[in-house]
Amino acid sequence: MSPDRHPRAEAPDAAPPVRAWARIGRLRAWGLVLPAGVLYAVTFGIPLAMLLGASFARFQGGVTTPGFFLDNYVKIATDGVTLAVFRNTVSLSLLITAVGLACALPVAMLMRRAGPGLRLVAMFVLVSPLLTSIIVRNVAWMLILGRSGMINSWLIDAGLISAPLPLMYNRLGVVIAVVHVYLPFAVLPIYAALRAIDPARERAAASLGAAPWRVFVHVTLPLAAPGLIAAFTLLFILSMGLYLTPVILGGNFVVTLPMMITDAARNQYNWPYASAMSVLLLASIVAVVAVSAVLGRLFAVPRDA
Amino acid sequence: MPERGFATPGFLALALFGSLATAFLVLPLAILCVQSFTAESYLSFPPPSFGLRWYRTVLADPEWRQAAQSSLTIAAIVTPLSLVVGTLAALGLDRGPMRGRNVIYGILISPMILPHIVLGLGLFRIALDLEIDDSLWSIVPAHLTITIPFVVISVGASLQSFDVGLEKAAQSLGANRFRALWHITLPIIRPGLVGGGIFAFIMSFDEFIITYFLAVQTRTLPLEIFDSLRYQVSPSIAAVSALTIAASAALTVALILRGQVMAGGRIVQ
Repeated sequence: MSPDRHPRAEAPDAAPPVRAWARIGRLRAWGLVLPAGVLYAVTFGIPLAMLLGASFARFQGGVTTPGFFLDNYVKIATDGVTLAVFRNTVSLSLLITAVGLACALPVAMLMRRAGPGLRLVAMFVLVSPLLTSIIVRNVAWMLILGRSGMINSWLIDAGLISAPLPLMYNRLGVVIAVVHVYLPFAVLPIYAALRAIDPARERAAASLGAAPWRVFVHVTLPLAAPGLIAAFTLLFILSMGLYLTPVILGGNFVVTLPMMITDAARNQYNWPYASAMSVLLLASIVAVVAVSAVLGRLFAVPRDA
Repeated sequence: MPERGFATPGFLALALFGSLATAFLVLPLAILCVQSFTAESYLSFPPPSFGLRWYRTVLADPEWRQAAQSSLTIAAIVTPLSLVVGTLAALGLDRGPMRGRNVIYGILISPMILPHIVLGLGLFRIALDLEIDDSLWSIVPAHLTITIPFVVISVGASLQSFDVGLEKAAQSLGANRFRALWHITLPIIRPGLVGGGIFAFIMSFDEFIITYFLAVQTRTLPLEIFDSLRYQVSPSIAAVSALTIAASAALTVALILRGQVMAGGRIVQ
């Protein structure tokens, strides 16, 4: 700690290093993003560009002709099957999102009112499934919902039913298993939004004579809107890309667009058509993100003192 | 926050719902774990007799061991790489000009909203064109693309609450920029690094559809479980599943004890 080795030691907040950092830093700091940028270009940018390009190729009799054809998009619009599957995927996603939000809101409200201990427990309960393998959670639901699963065998043993209830290989099973996976994703943004609400606003409404449910509907919910919109967007986007859970718990009875894409690419080797369906899937997701960004701005909570 | 009492009907209803939600989230996994200890050759709940029979079978089975080894190898390569690349990117964003920061951040986390099926399909095509035979070379970069956003978010959140003045103080005391980063910044943002690393590990370990497209001879644990499910859920699948649940539970405890709870919250915002 000799003063000659540390000439600036007596003034730790002196300007030179700050200026030096500012001078060299700023623009060059973005160089640190470069490795990620190069990786993304190779694994993300180029594949997406190729996908878009291939969606305009022509596929006839097992032969792919590159070029600018609209065949695949015409086929999507006219073959009946693809659009039906797309609509089915959208309605399944909306159903999952609605059930997910309906379950997430009360959980988030409870966490807001709970003490620190209970909140920690809640966090553990929410985060631990997040870290558990999705396929393992699907296996767990198969054991519960299957024909000879826990619920059916208990009900049959109790003499309440004579034949197993159809709890999986349908939408019910898929929705239950997917909500189980996505619930934490919905709770966390809603909880973050609820936590930011100043309770004084709710007390003010209550002191002016509003009943609890009116306070909730007219004060709490609008103030939590950004979190609800974020949760809605997240759940919907995640649901649109579902492959694994519909295959496992839906059998062949719940068909999603990603399942069709996989089939076209892996079994029919129809890469152009798989690409066009992927573009449709991406476009619908980008549209939802754009709409939710606009909504998020409309419902942005004014921050007053 | 608890502006009203705890014994109001509203709170009781919420508490009841909370308990139900907890049961919904935890019970299926608990039931699976209990069933995996069955000594019978079939699964039922509760099992008529208990034993470690299926754990012995699974741990001795070369196919399961091979699959677990592949998954762990991939995750062990992907996790440190994504920590390095993701932390560099988060630092660059933090220190770079304000202008354009949001755009770059948006690009960095954009793989999160991209369905994995689309990513898998695109990479499948490239791997075919480049004739990559050993699928590790295609699976690792693919996994990096989905794990880096989690590191960028987690480390970025830690950097936001980091006082850059500390790093400057170290530099004014004679440390060069690298030493200041290594001895001051990185230890302070460690919770963000640990959280990002755990999420990166889990995302890679659990990844299914991209690996499904890219795997030529590599068999990962999710692929092996998926293939075994075609017949029926055998007790050995339950045992494998219970083992991964135990590992995730340990990671969750580590994550929460590290105070990473809120970073986990930010991850999904």
